[in-house]
Amino acid sequence: MCVGLSARVVRIQDGTAIVDASGARRDVSVELLDEVEPGDYVMVHAGFAIAKITDEDEHETDEVLEALYA
Amino acid sequence: MSDEHPRERPSAAQILATYDGPPLRIMEVCGTHTHEIFRLGIRKLLPPQVELISGPGCPVCVTPVGFIDEAIWLAEHGATITTFGDLVRVPGTSGSLATARAEGGRVQVVYSPLDAVAYAREHTDERVVFLSVGFETTVPAACLAVDQALAEGIGNFSLLTANKTMPNAYAALKDSADVFLYPGHVHAITGTQLCEDLAEQGVSGVLAGFTAKELLTALAVAVRKGGEGKPFFVNAYPRVVRPEGSPAAVALINKLMEPCDTEWRGLGVIPQSGLKLREKYESVDARRVFDMPHIEGRANPACRCGEVLQGKCKPSDCPLFGRGCTPQHPVGACMVSGEGACSAYFQYGGDVL
Amino acid sequence: MSTEKKVTLAMGAGGKQTAELIDRVFAQRFASSLLTADDAAVLDAPRGKMAMSTDGFIVSPSFFAGGNIGKLSICGTVNDLACMGARPLYLTCAFVIEEGYPLDKLEQIADSMAATAAEVGVTLVAGDTKVAGHGQVDGVFITTTGVGEIPEGVAPAGDKAMPGDAIIVTGDVGRHGCTILLERDNFGIEADVTSDCAPLWKSVEAMLSATHDVHVIRDATRGGVGTVLYEIAGQSGVGVELDAAEVPVDPAVGGVCRMLGLEPLYLACEGRLVVIAPQEVAPSIVEALHSCPYSQGGKVIGRVVADRPGWVVLNTEVGTQTLLPQPTGELLPRIC
Repeated sequence: MCVGLSARVVRIQDGTAIVDASGARRDVSVELLDEVEPGDYVMVHAGFAIAKITDEDEHETDEVLEALYA
Repeated sequence: MSDEHPRERPSAAQILATYDGPPLRIMEVCGTHTHEIFRLGIRKLLPPQVELISGPGCPVCVTPVGFIDEAIWLAEHGATITTFGDLVRVPGTSGSLATARAEGGRVQVVYSPLDAVAYAREHTDERVVFLSVGFETTVPAACLAVDQALAEGIGNFSLLTANKTMPNAYAALKDSADVFLYPGHVHAITGTQLCEDLAEQGVSGVLAGFTAKELLTALAVAVRKGGEGKPFFVNAYPRVVRPEGSPAAVALINKLMEPCDTEWRGLGVIPQSGLKLREKYESVDARRVFDMPHIEGRANPACRCGEVLQGKCKPSDCPLFGRGCTPQHPVGACMVSGEGACSAYFQYGGDVL
Repeated sequence: MSTEKKVTLAMGAGGKQTAELIDRVFAQRFASSLLTADDAAVLDAPRGKMAMSTDGFIVSPSFFAGGNIGKLSICGTVNDLACMGARPLYLTCAFVIEEGYPLDKLEQIADSMAATAAEVGVTLVAGDTKVAGHGQVDGVFITTTGVGEIPEGVAPAGDKAMPGDAIIVTGDVGRHGCTILLERDNFGIEADVTSDCAPLWKSVEAMLSATHDVHVIRDATRGGVGTVLYEIAGQSGVGVELDAAEVPVDPAVGGVCRMLGLEPLYLACEGRLVVIAPQEVAPSIVEALHSCPYSQGGKVIGRVVADRPGWVVLNTEVGTQTLLPQPTGELLPRIC
């Protein structure tokens, strides 16, 4: 329903960021994020950043599974 | 997946493989989940008593025939249609945007509604309409576009809306599955309160991400918790979804749009499950701007998409599947998008492998 | 050389101005003892079997990172011949040029054609130039036709893939298609990607000097490697099994594909071959490929199987199998 792309913020100007996904770069709107800085990772959908995120899923999935067995 | 972990805890794949609880029906609500689950071959890791149902979370699939007819009408009446690529081949009552383009209509594929505004800015002699489909994840992008067009005084940009929202769809579907895989990116916008509330009403669900690890993990949670039989909610996608979601995005949606009853292709009208532009934004509402007549689409009656979307039959149970209806020549809702249940089932070999 | 000079309709009318255009742009660059000034080239016939192929080129834009339509028009036909194991000998080329096309760009195109032909050792023996009115063509269209000589005992063909064969690609996939997509700039995406456009006869020659036991060679142009594999699976009546993790994709191409929801296996290549040969000769083929500049990324990506004839199956990262979705024609980004 909503293809998302995890990308790193390279530069920000006036609510628009240039993001990079393994070498592919594009302008996206970061207007709806509170605070975002170059180096942050964001989830991009249809040209805007829907959330600030951590880039890797290893930690996350470990923690979710740990909680199952806590 | 090999999961090297120092402790005794089994991996997600092991949890799935060794599940020996009661039969479970898990509905992946989101079309991107459907697509990724097929692309990765994840269904083959599930034990036989766990069934995955592909729900209605593909905006292209649930967009009714009449909407495509409206878009084609606009293309025939001087509008430049800007759209996500997903919609171009979707059949209307007769013809698609691809055929409208072949007959001289202006149809421009864009990556973002913001690009549609940029197109309008550069082509002041054209009247640009963006086809606003999609759920809560996608609506903010369309709203940002409208906001930007209004702020800049770009007068040749409007939206043709067919946006959908999930809450009442969950209510309509709640008896179709034992556990829902909630759409991660919708809830990145709307937050997790609704999922918590559903759990209290007895509807179980796991919020899932989109990588192989995330999907396997969410499914592992679904079978382990689901097997216990108590209603639950787990956010298995915390790196993206915060409990509060994106208040800024929700506020923007509420500023520009209001709920309306809307038709879901295959499911019929679900009350208050759509979004339309508020009255005061009629200057960017394509239906008003172009004074469009009421257009009623006609879907193929042999198609069983409605039942597929509710998990009442498999894609291959439909008489049209793979015969009259293929991804190249789709007839029904679930075949029209790469994310539709029938399309994913067909393309990734549900009937071959 | 003035950058202002443009091609005119008169230059295509067959008179003095046509002769001047041909002289200025083509004659010197393509000069050889075989290039005809008459109605047809007169040539020595190849020994043994010969291969002949023709292809039209209409790429837009006509200049792109890593090449232009001229280089493409030589590589395309050279590679088609090479896929039959044929050493390219002679080429002809026909131009349809849009009125108003800048002359210096036409010269650059001709330069690229001459350089690429020289690199391969193929001779341009005849040509044709037409000028079409403004808007009747998009810039310049080129059609090339080639003749090549097939060594004794070499006969690759699309219906010869056998269960047990290895599937080899000569480099990373999808670069040309990705480059063109970026050049057209419809999606506001930037990436450092250059076309893989390259002549591959030397790679095929090296491969054939290692072994003649090559079942199929196919260049993966329009439709990419995925489309070619489906064609071969159909022609040979076999199944194809790919290891998804082994398919080489440039990271930036991967990034663009993820942005737009595209499958790199379906993006066009213009310098990549799919080679199918018995497992036991695969290592020597890969070694031969690595000795040539345009196939250093050559590697085995899968195998031919007897199961599921006509289908291409992917071994996924979670250890299961899925089908590679069949090609659907126009590439449309998947967003929502």
